Amino acid sequence: MQVILLGVSHRTAPVELRERLDFSSRDLGAAIQALALRPSAAETVVLSTCNRSEIYVVCNDPVRAREEVTGFLSEYHNLPETAFTPHLFSYDNESAVRHLFRVAAGLDSIVVGEPQILGQVKDAFQAAAEHHRTGPMLSKLFHWSFLVGKRVRTETGLGEGAVSVSFAAVALARKIFGQLNGRRVLVVGAGEISTLTAQHLRANGVGEILVTSRTPAHAEALAASVNGRSVPWNDLAQGVAVADIVVTATGSQRPIVTRAQIESVTGRHRRDPLFIIDVAVPRDVEASVGDIEQVFLYNVDDLQSLVQENLSRRSSEVERAESIVTEEVSKFGAWQRSRGAVPTIVALRERFDRIRRSELNRLDGKLSGMPPEAKARVDEITRLIVEKLLLEPTEQLKGLPDEETQVAYTEAINRLFRLRDGEPISQVDEGAAEVTPADRQRK
Amino acid sequence: MNFLPLALYAAAVVVYAIHFAKRQPSIGRTATTVLLLGVLAHTFVIGMQTMEVRHVPFSNTSTAVSSFVWMLALSYLYLEVTTDERAMGVFIVPILVGLQTIPAFNPGVDYRDPVLDSPWFWVHVTSLLFAYATFALAAMLGLTYVLQFKEIKKKHLGYFYTRLPSLHVLDAMNSRAVAVGWLFLTVGVVVGVVWAAQALALTPDNSNLRAMSLQDPKIFIAVLTWAVYSFAMFARKTLGWTGRRAAWLSAVGFVIVLLNFLPVSYFVTTSHTFQ
Repeated sequence: MQVILLGVSHRTAPVELRERLDFSSRDLGAAIQALALRPSAAETVVLSTCNRSEIYVVCNDPVRAREEVTGFLSEYHNLPETAFTPHLFSYDNESAVRHLFRVAAGLDSIVVGEPQILGQVKDAFQAAAEHHRTGPMLSKLFHWSFLVGKRVRTETGLGEGAVSVSFAAVALARKIFGQLNGRRVLVVGAGEISTLTAQHLRANGVGEILVTSRTPAHAEALAASVNGRSVPWNDLAQGVAVADIVVTATGSQRPIVTRAQIESVTGRHRRDPLFIIDVAVPRDVEASVGDIEQVFLYNVDDLQSLVQENLSRRSSEVERAESIVTEEVSKFGAWQRSRGAVPTIVALRERFDRIRRSELNRLDGKLSGMPPEAKARVDEITRLIVEKLLLEPTEQLKGLPDEETQVAYTEAINRLFRLRDGEPISQVDEGAAEVTPADRQRK
Repeated sequence: MNFLPLALYAAAVVVYAIHFAKRQPSIGRTATTVLLLGVLAHTFVIGMQTMEVRHVPFSNTSTAVSSFVWMLALSYLYLEVTTDERAMGVFIVPILVGLQTIPAFNPGVDYRDPVLDSPWFWVHVTSLLFAYATFALAAMLGLTYVLQFKEIKKKHLGYFYTRLPSLHVLDAMNSRAVAVGWLFLTVGVVVGVVWAAQALALTPDNSNLRAMSLQDPKIFIAVLTWAVYSFAMFARKTLGWTGRRAAWLSAVGFVIVLLNFLPVSYFVTTSHTFQ
């Protein structure tokens, strides 16, 4: 059984093509079922996000499976094969495993280390499992990939630090206020970043969100979208006085929040911190406001440079994450090989046990005088001897370092013990089994 | 005997430092376990000493320091368990190690003047040691607040930013620690005054008791400590001295406490030397 992977991602295909090959927006279940009709794939998982569409298949005949999957993509998305094959990447076995582990770890994402992808990989596996398209191989592989994703997140800083301005602002707010529950937010001016920031703050459980704008309609629209309340523009100073977090994003040419204004309302010693996020250009808040003791003032450049720092810190963690992936790929390979050795081990054990039983049967007449407990004892002892003889070879076979060695070893064992693939063990020639070294000695 | 807790506290410092740097939950749990073992060993040591001298050993500076360390360790463990916040360990456990070296290398015999055989003495010392332990916590919380504040205010989010709790949490814990410490300080001082007056009436010739006055540095500084922490609480409530100001005040308060606890106790005081 082999694992193959075909797909497109942001690295190989432009967004227009990715959109055409996307499964996530359409019925993923239907796609899995349609793919199941192709005969060569024993197990299939379809992983589809906005940045990638990947199909993992376990098959016996990789060439045929590849053709079938390509044909399926073409039919299902109603695209000629030539439209996407130049952008299609294809991996098999170890490289497919490595690819999945890198994806789950967030190493293959546009924003390295982003956390959503692991959930998406889990969902993809879940969907395939619900349609009974996963078997022992892909189950093991995907569960392994979840662990790799988790390991990379806990052991490296790959997913740390906010990598967008609005997330960076919320992360800072949490370091100032701890829990954001009950904190009052004032949003001044409606823009893209201020809207996103307000939405993230809402998602983090802030209390009231007040919105004000020179154009009341804008304020009302934003207030409605973040479940806030719009207040008149004239109440700006008062709003700043009662807020814990202020987000400003107006198109004003001159500062609308000044130091004098804040100090006139709250006095020189602010009891509680005030976090001002000024994402307007030109700035809405006088720089000296940041000198007030309990005021933390961040403008869009400050936040942007935090994002840059976080990004560069993430990229410095890539190497550690990659080495975790490499380690896990080789562990997975070892698991696969140990699994590959299983038929030989089973055959070997059956062979030994058959010899044991036939010897016991032959001696049955001599043993007939013994009490039943003693006979059971003899049976037990002979079984233990076989177990012990086979213990070390079994371990060795499971732990072989690479596939080539494994093939050589199983070949040798098959020959030495006359284990034949596909033949029932009971047919392995009777005569040979009967002449044991013990017999020869007796003769 | 005080070496075993010292060794365990020192080991805990190392594990807390590794946890602070690497931020792995399993290392954090190990750190707590090692500290807990240290506290258990310390409890055993203090228990044995109590059996030996038949009173809780804190009549001389060395044994008092040992009891103080024990209380600080317990208070910190309480803080850690209730807040699930381990980042403070790397700041507080070194204090345990630093102070525990005193009883470890200079055990001293806990001989007790018969005049101290009073439950009031026990309340007086326990309250004050506990107050000092919470002031130590408050000071370290204040110190970490200042570190965190600096990084956020200056927009250099670095080493401490990711590791320390939020400013709000640090400030709230500092405020609570100062309040609890102040309460016990007040109880300790009041009980001390009442009990000294009673004892002096019974044994008018005792030189220690005769020296009990505000002119004695130990008593004067204790009152000064009380004034500093009273002001800290008053300022927080009415002047809005939260955050950095409160943090510095609690640090200053603890420096005074340490000064009173060690050099003054060893060299200067005339009233608190019941040996």
